[in-house]
Amino acid sequence: MHLRGLSQQQTDLLSTPQFPAPVPNFRFLPRLFRSWLRPLCRRSSRPGSWRLLAVQIPGPMAALASMKVALQVAEVLEAIVSCCVGPEGRQVLCTKPTGEVLLSRDGGRLLEALHLEHPIARGLHAITDKEKDCLISENVQTHGKHWKNCCQWKFISQALLTFQMQTLDRVMDQYLRRHFLSIFSSAKERTVCRNSLELLLEAYFCGRVGRNHHKFISQLMCDYFFKCMSCKSGIAVFELVGDCLRELTVGVTGLPVSDSRIIDGFVLHRDFSVYCPADGDIRTVIVTEAIQPLFSTSGSEFILNSEAQFQTSQFWIMERTKAIMKHLHSQNVKLLLSSVKQPDLVIYYAELNSISVVECLSPEEVSLIQRITGLSPFVLPEASLQCEIANAALVKFCKPLILRSKRYVHIGLISSCTFIPHCIILCGPVQGLIEQCENALLGAFKMFQELFKGIDLNYMTQENNQNDTLSSLICKNSRENNQLPETGNGSVQRPHEDIVEKNKDKLEKMQTYLNICPKLVVSNVKLGTYTPCLAPKLITTDTFQTDETLKGLSPEINKATDDCELLTESNSTANSTTENTRKEMSFENLQVTKIAGKGSMLPVSLQSLDRYTSQNTFPQTMYCFSSIPAGCVLPVGGHFEILLHYYLLKYSQTCQQSEETMVSMIIANALLGIPKILYKSKKGSHSFPQIYMKAIHALQTNQPLVSNQMGLESVAGKHQLLTSVLQCLTKILTIDLVITIKRQPQKTDDQDSEDEL
Amino acid sequence: MSRLEAKKPSLCKKEPLTSERVRATLCVLKGIVTSCYGPSGRLKQLHNGLGGYVCTTSQSSALLSKLSVTHPILKILTTSVQNHVTCFSDCGLFTTILCCNLIEHVQRTGLTPTTIIKLNKHLLSLCTSYLKSEACGCRIPVDFSRTQILLCLVRSILTSKPACMLSGKEIDHIGALILRAFLLTIPENAEDHIILGKSIIVPLKGQRVIESTVLPGILIEISEVQLIRLLPAKKPGPLKVALFRTSLSGDLSDTGEGTVVVSDGVSLENAVLDLLINLGKQLVSDHVDLVLCQKVIHPSLKRFFSTHRVIAIDRIGVTLMEPLSKATGTQPIGALGAISPSSYGSVEDLCSAKFGSKHFFHLVPNESTICSLLLGNRNDTAWDELKLTCQTAVHVLQLTIKEPWVLLGGGCTETHLAAYIRYKIHNEPESILKDGGCTQTELQLIAEAFCSTLESLAGSLEHDGGEILTDMKYGHFWSVQADSPSPVNWPGLLSRCGCGIYNSQEELSWCFLRSTHHPFALETCLPHEAVGSANNLTLDCFTAKLGGLQAAVETANLILDLSYVIEDKN
Repeated sequence: MHLRGLSQQQTDLLSTPQFPAPVPNFRFLPRLFRSWLRPLCRRSSRPGSWRLLAVQIPGPMAALASMKVALQVAEVLEAIVSCCVGPEGRQVLCTKPTGEVLLSRDGGRLLEALHLEHPIARGLHAITDKEKDCLISENVQTHGKHWKNCCQWKFISQALLTFQMQTLDRVMDQYLRRHFLSIFSSAKERTVCRNSLELLLEAYFCGRVGRNHHKFISQLMCDYFFKCMSCKSGIAVFELVGDCLRELTVGVTGLPVSDSRIIDGFVLHRDFSVYCPADGDIRTVIVTEAIQPLFSTSGSEFILNSEAQFQTSQFWIMERTKAIMKHLHSQNVKLLLSSVKQPDLVIYYAELNSISVVECLSPEEVSLIQRITGLSPFVLPEASLQCEIANAALVKFCKPLILRSKRYVHIGLISSCTFIPHCIILCGPVQGLIEQCENALLGAFKMFQELFKGIDLNYMTQENNQNDTLSSLICKNSRENNQLPETGNGSVQRPHEDIVEKNKDKLEKMQTYLNICPKLVVSNVKLGTYTPCLAPKLITTDTFQTDETLKGLSPEINKATDDCELLTESNSTANSTTENTRKEMSFENLQVTKIAGKGSMLPVSLQSLDRYTSQNTFPQTMYCFSSIPAGCVLPVGGHFEILLHYYLLKYSQTCQQSEETMVSMIIANALLGIPKILYKSKKGSHSFPQIYMKAIHALQTNQPLVSNQMGLESVAGKHQLLTSVLQCLTKILTIDLVITIKRQPQKTDDQDSEDEL
Repeated sequence: MSRLEAKKPSLCKKEPLTSERVRATLCVLKGIVTSCYGPSGRLKQLHNGLGGYVCTTSQSSALLSKLSVTHPILKILTTSVQNHVTCFSDCGLFTTILCCNLIEHVQRTGLTPTTIIKLNKHLLSLCTSYLKSEACGCRIPVDFSRTQILLCLVRSILTSKPACMLSGKEIDHIGALILRAFLLTIPENAEDHIILGKSIIVPLKGQRVIESTVLPGILIEISEVQLIRLLPAKKPGPLKVALFRTSLSGDLSDTGEGTVVVSDGVSLENAVLDLLINLGKQLVSDHVDLVLCQKVIHPSLKRFFSTHRVIAIDRIGVTLMEPLSKATGTQPIGALGAISPSSYGSVEDLCSAKFGSKHFFHLVPNESTICSLLLGNRNDTAWDELKLTCQTAVHVLQLTIKEPWVLLGGGCTETHLAAYIRYKIHNEPESILKDGGCTQTELQLIAEAFCSTLESLAGSLEHDGGEILTDMKYGHFWSVQADSPSPVNWPGLLSRCGCGIYNSQEELSWCFLRSTHHPFALETCLPHEAVGSANNLTLDCFTAKLGGLQAAVETANLILDLSYVIEDKN
């Protein structure tokens, strides 16, 4: 991609140890270079600020130094976040420049509050933002210890990527699966029993909120879950609650946390402008504009020719408003929800017609009401007021709610969807604590969303006489790539050559490093996997194969595979929802037929499995598409980590490729860091070595693992976390030099235009 | 572009509570609040070096809102207390001292925060369940058919605020006024749920305290000139009232987003004025006697009203609108015409009143839950303090209606509670230990820290170097002069316990509060004759004190739980 355009000269410019004046140099860097850098900086917390940049430059010394720095950064961050982890974790207090005080145990939030300067730290931060736990740096740190021993970070990063894409899913699918428990009491209907939900939530809140409150908050959440969900509600409800949780909670400071409760209906964070007690059949409408007609609307002109005209129009406005409110009254509308401030006139006539009014609703509140009731805003009829009001919803009740001498509007909305509206009143001594609870609740709903979805696992296995293992795939492919005519020295091929070189001799120092963005690596690896059937054909039929055709080929292949994946995915998920059996789908590789003389045009055809197996003698790649069914959980307390550790070690012993063995072992050992933190303060039989030994023994003898801790956690969340960590790691490893630019951050748009001139 | 500055990295500190500086600042705060506590507490004078007026106070709400704290931990503490005070009005100092003391005491035990927090929570629930239980020996049910307990409660609040500068007689007077004002806000024919009215505090700064009074209805301050001009127009007997929310000044506020073009020669002023006069005519024909307007009335309209013997008062302000509409039974009018007759209300009478140099219109309602509390005090700062105190007292009375109990004051609840916990932990530690996670020694240590926290809180009521004793029967608080000769003659030296419920003539044995003594079983039943007859008890609001206890322990737990402090220095 960007790689091609970066000439040797520019690379030299960058690698100069000291710029005499860095600012002008950077000002005139070609556009291309910047756009290549941008993906690296994009993750920084403030777009447009380029205080720190990371570029990769040849030179093992610089890289070694930066690795050291990265290691230090990771160590420091680990120290901070590790104290928040687990049931024994503690709080961190953050102050904002505005004077606000925040409490948090959320890794992402803390790292954000730190305003990290180091780009590696920022990279970590970007990951934790969306992640479920804050253990990233712990992993990184442990990995880092291993990096010290081997300088070939670049190579490792590729192996890591392969691991993430292939091995992880494979191990999850083939080994870990048998340990999974399901949260659903019956898999078909996806019903959740209260007991298991409590275990799951308690374990979740254990790491989120203050130590004294997690039981209470998880009970509260559990109640909320069962109160809001009807039997057929699904993921849609989680999405709705997840989106609108801020509107569904009311924070009350000054009261003890134990005063938090759930109330029926929906609470608006404001008071009535007019309150007229009403009972029975209450209809409500939402308005988004002032009901009172105005002299002139936007873009129009109102010409006043006489005083009488003015008086008449005033009179008409009054009469019109009166008529509209009367009309609403006659239609039994007793509650008017307005997103804007209504004029005094409207308020007055509303009161006369005993219509309660709530003004200045936020757009979020309006949209939530609309989502719950399916109500659309009331449009003022243009002429006659005879028609029925279609856009009105029924509410059960509508009354003021007084919490800590502040008044709120409490409406008993009748839901038209599967969500039964309830609100959570969160109490706490300080706002920070309430916010923490709110964020934890939000996180819990996100976790549910993921838990109810399940994960698709796809990996490739190669069933070949010589190569059983997975990672040999790349090696093999690359080797075959190597047979490609040397005439095509296009850039697409160069990475392949590199990989080949690396595979051939691990210890050999590389002459040239190529700057490969992670993204590019991904696509190349993908490409590589498809070459087995492609390469021989190229050789046999086509000796004048040029770079161009290869380039023309790759997008199409990718496209075709995308389609295949889609197909099989839908297939496998359909199957896996009904039964848990793993569906292995191996299907035909892409059969590429070369039409001679057509140059770069390469039609791609997809053929059925049996035909392929009958005619093909080339190494056969098996694609396994499987999925972890929704609702998979494991007991807490490092269960997942110890299991994965054990199976990774086991797997690594079967690997023939030494680098894969090594990566698996690194990750297996790094995983242990988490249970180590969790059991840090425990003594005796609950100390980490004891727990670890017991678990390993149980696994070796095929006994069920016993857990001394109650609580469950979602497998899907863990899987995603691990994937993100590995991706982050890959990225960090690809960086080998950090360049600090002491210039004011600039708007990128300005710079673009400047450069084009 | 030059304003765009790079963000500075934040400052991150580990284990904040172990730092000497944090301890010192906490200690300073503790010193400030402790010295304010109780009837003999010292006053604090707060003044800003840049100007503004000087505030003399001993109340937590005034003190903490004016004190600017910088350290995040102190910020958490003060915000928590302020939040508590906005909820309950009372017991702010109690909460602050308890929180500071608790942090200090449990830190001395040297246990891990996890254990401390867990046990603190257990002890707190022990306290709350005891205070809420029927067997509680420091709680008195409130008898609303008699004013005695309520008066004691109000008087205790007044005496505990020395910055109000009230003499004993003044305290009695103000106490009675507050209770009267409160009773006036209770509706006479209460249905299933009561909606309390409002007592509006009217400042009479510079007047004597003894001149303070309570009037039913609403007072509207007015200049003498206006009063002389308006009053002759008044008709005798009940008056018909119209209350306007909208402005009657003839302004055209909202004409829409488009443009309005006025042709040459068209005078909008006249057109609007015509509308206003038409409105005036309608009001006159509807026999309205009193027109009140939140905003401004056009002078021409005013003149029109006065010629038709209608009293018009404008610039009422938004705060008085709700009480006015309640007291007069009007619907605030938002239209310049077509007024529904149902919007009008009425008042029994309208008379003028003069307090000091100020003139008021006094709207006497037919039947309403709105009253005006006119408060006087010598100077501004003392008046501010008195006003806060009155608001607190009224709020406390309101809270007492919801939970009809009061707690014994004067330090007795604290010492009693401490004795209860000591005994409970000594005799039945299983209830807490069965939960697992801590040993008996840890429990003993924390319970001791918790109890001594409560006792030192009670002890901070004493500012004059006196000794504090506790009896071994009820666990109440007794204070004795600093230079008492010998412990033998204690019944003679002591008169009454802190709350005033027991006297020293009973067969009691005492010991120093700070000394270590063996846990003893408490006599928990309260003597009914003592509660019934005593009219000089010191009492505390049940709801506020319970809330304060919870807030203090929760906040202390929160602070103890902090492992890092990240300060954003931007």
